[in-house]
Amino acid sequence: MPKTLKEVLAEAGIPMDFESGGHSPKEMVDREVKREPHPRVVKLKDIYMDTLSSANNEFPYWYTREYVQHDTEIPVVRRAMSLKSAFSHSTPVIYPGELLVTHKAAFFRGSFPMPWLSEGYYMAKEDELYQDALKRGSASADEHSKFGQGGGNVVKSFGKVISIAGKFGMRQEEIPALLKLAKAWVGKSVDDLGHKYEQMVPDYEVKEALMRNVICMFDSGYTLPQGREVINYYYPLEYGIDGLLDMAEELKAKVAGRADGDGIKGTNRLFNYEAVILSLEGLKTWFDNYGKEARRLEGIEKDTGQKAEYAEIAERLEWLSHGKPRTFAEAFQMMLTIHLAVLNEDAISGMAPGRIAQVLYPYFEQDIAAGRTNEDEVMELLELYRLSISSIDCFASTGVVGGVLSGNTFNTVSIGGLNKDGGHAVNRLEYLLLEAGLNNPMPQPTLALLYDEKLPEDFLLLAMECIKTGVGYPAFMNNQIGMTFMLNQYGPEGMTSEEARSWAIGGCLESSACCWKPLHLNGKEYFVPGGAGQPTSVGVHFLAMPKILEAVLWNGVDQRTGEQVFAPHDRKLATYDELFDQFKLYWQKAVDVLALTNNIQHDIWRKNNMAVINSMLKPDCLDRGHLIDEKGYRYNATFNVESAGTITCVNSLAAIKKLVYEDKAVSLDELKTAIKDNFGFKTAKEVNSFSLSDQEQRDGDTGKWDKLHFMCLQAPKYGNDDIFADQILLDWENFFCPDCRNYESLYAHTMYPCQISVSTHGAMGSATIASGDGRLAGTTFADASLSAFPGTDRSGIYALLNSAAIWDHSMSQNSQLNVKIHPTAIQGPSGSRKLLDLIQAYMRKGGFHIQFNVVDTKVLKDAQKNPQNYRDLMVRVAGFTQYWVEIGKPVQDELIARTEYEGI
Amino acid sequence: MTNLNCRDCRDFAPIDVVKGVCHITKTTVLGDAEQCGDFSLMPKCKHCTKFTADPAIVEMGVCEASTTDPKFFAFPDMVTVTCEWFQQN
Repeated sequence: MPKTLKEVLAEAGIPMDFESGGHSPKEMVDREVKREPHPRVVKLKDIYMDTLSSANNEFPYWYTREYVQHDTEIPVVRRAMSLKSAFSHSTPVIYPGELLVTHKAAFFRGSFPMPWLSEGYYMAKEDELYQDALKRGSASADEHSKFGQGGGNVVKSFGKVISIAGKFGMRQEEIPALLKLAKAWVGKSVDDLGHKYEQMVPDYEVKEALMRNVICMFDSGYTLPQGREVINYYYPLEYGIDGLLDMAEELKAKVAGRADGDGIKGTNRLFNYEAVILSLEGLKTWFDNYGKEARRLEGIEKDTGQKAEYAEIAERLEWLSHGKPRTFAEAFQMMLTIHLAVLNEDAISGMAPGRIAQVLYPYFEQDIAAGRTNEDEVMELLELYRLSISSIDCFASTGVVGGVLSGNTFNTVSIGGLNKDGGHAVNRLEYLLLEAGLNNPMPQPTLALLYDEKLPEDFLLLAMECIKTGVGYPAFMNNQIGMTFMLNQYGPEGMTSEEARSWAIGGCLESSACCWKPLHLNGKEYFVPGGAGQPTSVGVHFLAMPKILEAVLWNGVDQRTGEQVFAPHDRKLATYDELFDQFKLYWQKAVDVLALTNNIQHDIWRKNNMAVINSMLKPDCLDRGHLIDEKGYRYNATFNVESAGTITCVNSLAAIKKLVYEDKAVSLDELKTAIKDNFGFKTAKEVNSFSLSDQEQRDGDTGKWDKLHFMCLQAPKYGNDDIFADQILLDWENFFCPDCRNYESLYAHTMYPCQISVSTHGAMGSATIASGDGRLAGTTFADASLSAFPGTDRSGIYALLNSAAIWDHSMSQNSQLNVKIHPTAIQGPSGSRKLLDLIQAYMRKGGFHIQFNVVDTKVLKDAQKNPQNYRDLMVRVAGFTQYWVEIGKPVQDELIARTEYEGI
Repeated sequence: MTNLNCRDCRDFAPIDVVKGVCHITKTTVLGDAEQCGDFSLMPKCKHCTKFTADPAIVEMGVCEASTTDPKFFAFPDMVTVTCEWFQQN
């Protein structure tokens, strides 16, 4: 039997199974806090747990059918006509027991393809387009992305169900229609047109090489062009659909034929308002159709209780198809339907509802005061909302949905933070929202707590209880750091300190620009926060730092494929400074070419596929008459550069600096030979484990690299408050953050850094050979941007926090730190207190983000062996929580391997 | 009206591509299960007078109500609850 790395190291006196800060019991320990939602929610949740991700062609059929009829129409109007037709023809489906209704498609967990964005990947494999996609590199990421093999994923075709992209099931009867629809968009989709024009960028071949070699994971223009932002529900809440229609008609008449000083875009306002009107008409019909279905069900229903509920639902929808919400339930229904409408407009992940308990508070306050509802009814709706949001799927490619999103769609709700006047924004409804997260633990919406010293203590301790359920939320984000970033990034577009207080998390962890708007209800005015910025995490997506370092070491050649990715630098790399300098140069080359090509993709998107519904919701599009494509949003400087594998790269640089340049214990060439030889080990793929500790020595390995491998593994590592490694992180951040300002988005704003890995650390690690830190080929990178590599943070959790806080986090949109804690380490009230102390210590040091997996590693190991026993086990992956069985193996292995703190 | 099953019933609320909730019995049923005595026809293209089946591909056809030239395609299994041109054959 070949030895695993864990065994080899144990023999050398370096155990990988170590306990940090205490001891855990030998038996498996469950999480301390467990609660149940209302019985109605339990029933519906049972359905959810047994539901397959399902897709149909209804929406794209009607969209495409309308689109082809209007080939001479103004693009924005043509798009709105298509959206109107698709919404108007969507089949309403309501399930017994639901109170909040509407679904993306006519399934419990439904979605549909959007071939106008990209049609290639879901064509049949024999299709020539698929072959072309392979050549273009976009399929490379798919090959390294793995879905979980359980839960709702349709990983294989069966019976009359065809698996698409390893995730979605579609009825066999619909496949010919899918292909017909896809073919209608060949040469016209954002993907195809973007590809046509991006080839005109000099050095385009570098871009394709970056994609083929999985140095960069994704194009953003046609995959998920919107999202990682905060939606804004203000306008439908304040005006209702009829009110918005009236407003748009009035404004249309006012601007028709007028340039009003803008000779380029001024007259476009007419068409934009026309598009808004058409879209609103589509939404109105969507509401109406759901209302009709509720009436029909009321008609056939025999159970009096259910019959009355259908009648209430029907009344609510009939009212909302024209009027503004009057009650908490109406406002909540409006919010949910509008949210789904935006998600149906585009392929979107990370459309965060934002600070919903602050937006809904006026209705809650007045309904409670008037006796129209009570907290138990509100709680039931909040629990149901979690079910609705968890059911949201996004139909995109394997690489995007599996490799990046792990099947999650990141509809994050923010809590806490400050109000417009600078006081804390926590209200009674926020407590209930947090309680709902405890009662009904589900992946979505995950909760982001905007931590400020002003937040009430009992609210924070309630958050600790929630974390102890093991759901991984709320994550803590530093409110003051977030506001500083907002002012730095959006100050040039006019953001004030007061407005910065309205910020919230978009996507899983993307700080997003918001604003305050005055909501009026029964004569009282409330200032509510909502999104006012364009999508973030668009631009340069997931550049793998360890792969760039590999290219530096091998003169621009990717060692997995042998392809020359970057032009040879031909430098001797005689000093660490020379090596780091070349690393920065290759990095800049990659960012530059990717920024240009993605600008072109997004430019095609904004010309042909612009957001109409999302734009209509976002200040100040309605006021200005300009949509997203014409910078109608209040904040447009949202494009960013997203890194991956930061800590793996930092540790590798630290090892090389120490062993090669300082101690001269090994030459660079010898180290490269050992890395290339994978230190005598098999690859992760051969072993079928992506965790470092499970890697096996090759049969017949003589152990010639063992000593050097040990030295690499024992070289200074980030996460131990060791300045040798931490200084490298600091140097990197002080280069990377300001360097992003050198790249310009298509909206003519400078970019900024985004530092989250989502799930790319699995997929990108899978495509990377061994590295200088002793990591072996194909194993997963360190997760997030500030998590330690599994098992290397051996100096206690506060040492990890010190390492993480070495740089100024307000220079970046985010940072991300995941910590795994054994449930016994934070047991009881004193455990909650200790956990809160830990979080507050990190926030006071200047850390931006921290979140926790409260789980016994033994449980995860058992779940990997016996997934059938763990359908409802949830874990925190990156900025999101997901069901264990829906996560791919590379990330599962990494989650198991993460250092477990037995004591804090 | 041969070969109709639960998926073709108006009171079948699809949960996913395999199963759905029957609004009459409130139970989960397989979409491909045989129709029962309470069956009520779900409007679909295949039941519409405007639908012409494709002679070569059984899952495809043409919507004669389409105003484009050539007529836009349709597929027999598509639900037409919201279609303004639907006329049951």
